[in-house]
Formats: sequence, C-alpha cells, structure tokens
Amino acid sequence: MVSAPSEHETFDGLPVTDKAARTAFAHPSERVAARILDFYHVRWEYEPTTFPIEWDSRGNVIASFAPDFYLPDYDLYLELTTMSQKLVTKKNRKVRRLKELYPEVKILLLYQKDFKKLLFKFGIPGREMPHEEGGGVAPDEGLGPSEGRMP
Amino acid sequence: MSGYYTIHDPLIERVLLTEEEIADICVRLGARITEDYRGKDLVLVSLLRGSLVFLADLSRRVELDVKLDFMAISSYGSAETVRIVKDLDEDVSGKHVLVVEDIVDTGLTLHYLLGVLAGRSPASLAVCTLLDRRARRIADVPIVYRGIEIPDVFVVGYGIDLGGRYRNLPYVAVVREEVMG
Repeated sequence: MVSAPSEHETFDGLPVTDKAARTAFAHPSERVAARILDFYHVRWEYEPTTFPIEWDSRGNVIASFAPDFYLPDYDLYLELTTMSQKLVTKKNRKVRRLKELYPEVKILLLYQKDFKKLLFKFGIPGREMPHEEGGGVAPDEGLGPSEGRMP
Repeated sequence: MSGYYTIHDPLIERVLLTEEEIADICVRLGARITEDYRGKDLVLVSLLRGSLVFLADLSRRVELDVKLDFMAISSYGSAETVRIVKDLDEDVSGKHVLVVEDIVDTGLTLHYLLGVLAGRSPASLAVCTLLDRRARRIADVPIVYRGIEIPDVFVVGYGIDLGGRYRNLPYVAVVREEVMG
C-alpha cells in the first residue's frame, strides 16, 4: 500500500497525484490509468522494464518491449493499447513473443475497446484522438453519467 | 413491470441472465454457503449499492442465522482516493465474513475492501459474487462462491446501474456497445 496521494494539479477537472503529474506519459490514456490506480492505492511503475524479444545472429538485441505499467502488488504488467484495432497487430506480436520468452511474466493487455469501457464505467467520456496527436482513445473533458465505481 | 418497459429500452441489447437463472444461482450458492458456514457466526457484508439486490435474494436462501451489514466507498471522481464513506455497524472481529458482490471486474474495489476487512481480524474472509467478468481483471481476488462467469460485456440490472438507472431490473441485461461511444 502507498500513502494517500496528494493533490498536485488538475486534469480534466480531477486531481492527479504528484507521481502521475511528474511522469512523462507517452499518451493521455496512461495518465488516466495511473490516476485510477492511485485512487485504489495500487502502486505502479511506469515502463520500468524493457524485455528484449528479438536478437540478431550475433546476439545483439534488435527488438524489445516495455509494457506501460508494472504493478508490484499484483506482480502484473499492464499494457494499454488505445490505438484502433487494425493497428495493434505489431503490439500483439510483441506481447505474444514476450509470453513465449518470459512465460513467468504476467501481463494484461487492454485494447481500445477495453479502455473505452473502463472510461465509461468511471464516467470519463472518451474521444478519438487525431492521428497527429498519437491517435487512439483519450479521456475527454468532464464527467459522464456513471457513478464511477469500477467493481 | 420495469422489466417489460426496459427490454424495449434502446440502450439495452439483450437479457444476459433471466430472473429464473438468477434464482437458480441464489439457490445453488445459498445451499453451499449454508453447508460451509453451519455452526459458525456469519456476517454477510454487501457494498452499497449495487450488491443490495443480490444480497437480499441470496441471504434468503442461506438457511442460517446470519447478520447483514453494509459498507459504501467513495467513487472515482468524488474523492481523491478510495475511502470508506459508510462503515460496518458490526464489529466483525472473530466472525466469519462473507463479502457479497454483484459483479467483480478489475477486482480493484474488492481488493481494497478485502484489505480493510482483513485488518479487522475476522475468523475468515471470503467472497461471493453473482457475476465474474475476468477479461480486465487486475487484482487477482479470491472468489469462493461464483454465480456465473460472464463475457466482456457491459451489464446493468439486478442492482447494477448505469448513471443510477436500471438497478430495479429483475434480470441482468447487456448494454449496447454504441452507448460507450
């Protein structure tokens, strides 16, 4: 358990934790995921591990994969794939390779549809991001209709 | 006749679990709980408000002298972090506690709740859920009594709401994907 996060700034109208505010996330969805984990006092590390997944004939790493989050409380890696389904083939291949090479590693892959459902359940409207902003689904301003409890 | 009206609701795609199927689950789980907790001091704990309907039906299928108690926690967006906003009335120290849930999804809420309850030294602590949706499970919470595992669909009814609506549906229904944008 971590101590209760303190309010640092606001992001779409809600407080974010110091750690979430300090972390340079690659995508807005990752910041929201971090805030949800903070809400439940779940410790997280952002991209703490890079797994080599492909080597050349001389043993040099030519491909690697760094899951977005590691949750030490659950010994679980979490990867958010908020881009549209047709663009996730490469990511799927990396996750499949990771599981082959590191069968002891637990990883949960959340696709765009999964993340949209989480946003919906939490009452955070999602929006399609334009390609120049990284694409995928991102949280929108304001709160939606749900009570926000994620069972 | 809320069920009749809501089945024609444009947000509802289909019925996932009928009244009869839910009743069968309550009978099955109630019998197991009765057997497992016979002679023990059992408290059924429900998290408001979604689990209330299931608790009401399940508890009447448990043929033991049980106590019912309730907790409520802050929802995301209403507080900085999760916290108890309505605590148990009972002291559960030394008692057997069975948490009754409507649905377990990511497991984050339940994991928090179990942590709180474990700190109160119950004789035992277990979980009973009507619905188990494992697709997005983050916290691997132990479920002893499982009604049914459901696919990765968004559901309402039988206590489960959407913006405060649909709790009084007598069945569990699937919400159309388009509702989520």
